[in-house]
Amino acid sequence: MTSLSRAASGVVIYPLLLAAAVITLVPFGLGLLTSFTSAEQFNTEAPLSLPTPPTLANYVGLADAGFGRALVVTALMTAVIVLGQLTCSVLAGYAFARLEFPGRDALFWVYVATLMVPTTVMVVPLYLMMAEAGLRNTFWALVLPFVFGSPYAIFLLREYFRTIPADLIRAARVDGANTLDVIWHVVLPASRPILVTLALITVVSQWNNFMWPLVITSGDTWRVLTVATAGLQSRYDAQWTLVMAATTVAIVPLIVLFVAFGRHIVRSIVVTGLK
Amino acid sequence: MTFNDYVWLRRLGRTATAYALLAPSLFGVVVFLLLPMLVVLWLSLNRWDLLGPMEFVGLSNWQSVLSDSSFGTSLVVTAVFIALVVPMQTVLGLFAAAMLARDLPGSRFFRTLYVLPWICSPLAIAVLWRWILAPTDGAVSTVLGHRIEWLTDPQLALPVVSAVTIWTNVGYVTLFFLAGILAIPREIHDAARTDGANAWQRFRRITLPMLRPTLFFVLVTGIVSAAQVFDTVYALTGGGPAGRTDLVAHRIYAEAFGAAAVGRAAVMAVVLFALLVGVTLAQQIYFRRRISYDLT
Repeated sequence: MTSLSRAASGVVIYPLLLAAAVITLVPFGLGLLTSFTSAEQFNTEAPLSLPTPPTLANYVGLADAGFGRALVVTALMTAVIVLGQLTCSVLAGYAFARLEFPGRDALFWVYVATLMVPTTVMVVPLYLMMAEAGLRNTFWALVLPFVFGSPYAIFLLREYFRTIPADLIRAARVDGANTLDVIWHVVLPASRPILVTLALITVVSQWNNFMWPLVITSGDTWRVLTVATAGLQSRYDAQWTLVMAATTVAIVPLIVLFVAFGRHIVRSIVVTGLK
Repeated sequence: MTFNDYVWLRRLGRTATAYALLAPSLFGVVVFLLLPMLVVLWLSLNRWDLLGPMEFVGLSNWQSVLSDSSFGTSLVVTAVFIALVVPMQTVLGLFAAAMLARDLPGSRFFRTLYVLPWICSPLAIAVLWRWILAPTDGAVSTVLGHRIEWLTDPQLALPVVSAVTIWTNVGYVTLFFLAGILAIPREIHDAARTDGANAWQRFRRITLPMLRPTLFFVLVTGIVSAAQVFDTVYALTGGGPAGRTDLVAHRIYAEAFGAAAVGRAAVMAVVLFALLVGVTLAQQIYFRRRISYDLT
């Protein structure tokens, strides 16, 4: 493209790109501002006036409403699921990619078929199973359905592991390494990009998980951030400054993650196509 | 030990290793993915109120769900929602991707920025929009200076819920189109330009046909995920007014955990599952047939 037509297209494109950026960012900005506005100012002045002075009162109010605990529970749940899911998926992905055993292809087909099972459909039967197992409103109930690996992660890891040169693995074998040694010392170091991808995607989806925690927990003990935010909003529908502080707490950790790993996340989404 | 014994033992050992590696994920797949499929079928034949004992009632849940109007209404609402969301987010995503593909300075920054809403918790996003659209002290009412019942007006509620969903998804859709556009070999565009094709002709005759696989992916995942939207409705409207935004995932939830009619919810879950599998399989068949780039 000539520089002239490039400049011309820039004149058309930049305003559109900027407009889209504004539409994307303004709701977040407004929510953030409101979370630093005192309830008195919000109610007496126009709701969109700048917070004068900015106050942390809403965040203190959140702490009183048990958001500290919800934050810890959410972080713990996410950490346990990410670790468990990655570990189990790596082991299975390696078996499918690198070992020959009877039933391999049939079993892999079963794993792939479960990708079609929508989570919405699982919630009702899983609730019954957890109730029967006496696990309602426990930490176990939050993590168990997700911690044993994800067929999609296994699928992607299998694809990735197949690209690792067989000579690398054979060399380690000759040196006397067993299967776990091979996975730990050869396969994992060679698979860092896909592992980062899967970890990021899992963090995002588990941190945001709402429907399952909503139905399987009750009360404050194992309440996660999304459930706490929804509860706060339905209890104090008019106290928007407090509610906006809650949404900020639910969103900001992910925005931080996004700023730190933005390009990784973008690539991860394209690689996995996953919610 | 004969050589054959040795080979057989090696093979046995390898099989044992493989199944040991598979054990945790196999447990997860069987207990938390396959078993629930059977349980939901079984539940659809029982009456259960979440607490008391279960009672086998045969097909009566199926009869009651398929004969009363609430589930039918919910399916229609979901279909309209999909029809509002999926084409719009696809067109906007394609449009944004076409602009970003020009690779002007800052494109990467914008690309990353647009995905932000999609990364964030849909529940928190819905709560945020609930305030922005609140009739008296919300941001939009304040700017406009008069009250609009965005979320309780029967005509407006579903389009508004759809708009929030589109706002969330566009950046995500953009990523896939952008990846698709950037994967098109430059030479094809250069050749067309040499032949005198203008930008629109090149977009229409090269970019669009080459994007067909991406387009199918975006459409199918868009339909499957729009058919399962829950958080947004839960926090924005609670399914109201008068069921106008009662998307099927929300109906299943309300039936099971609001009305304690778990058997009926199970019927709805089975129907939703069948519909989504149908969409996925139809896409697979169609996709396999038309995967080739149609350059003629």
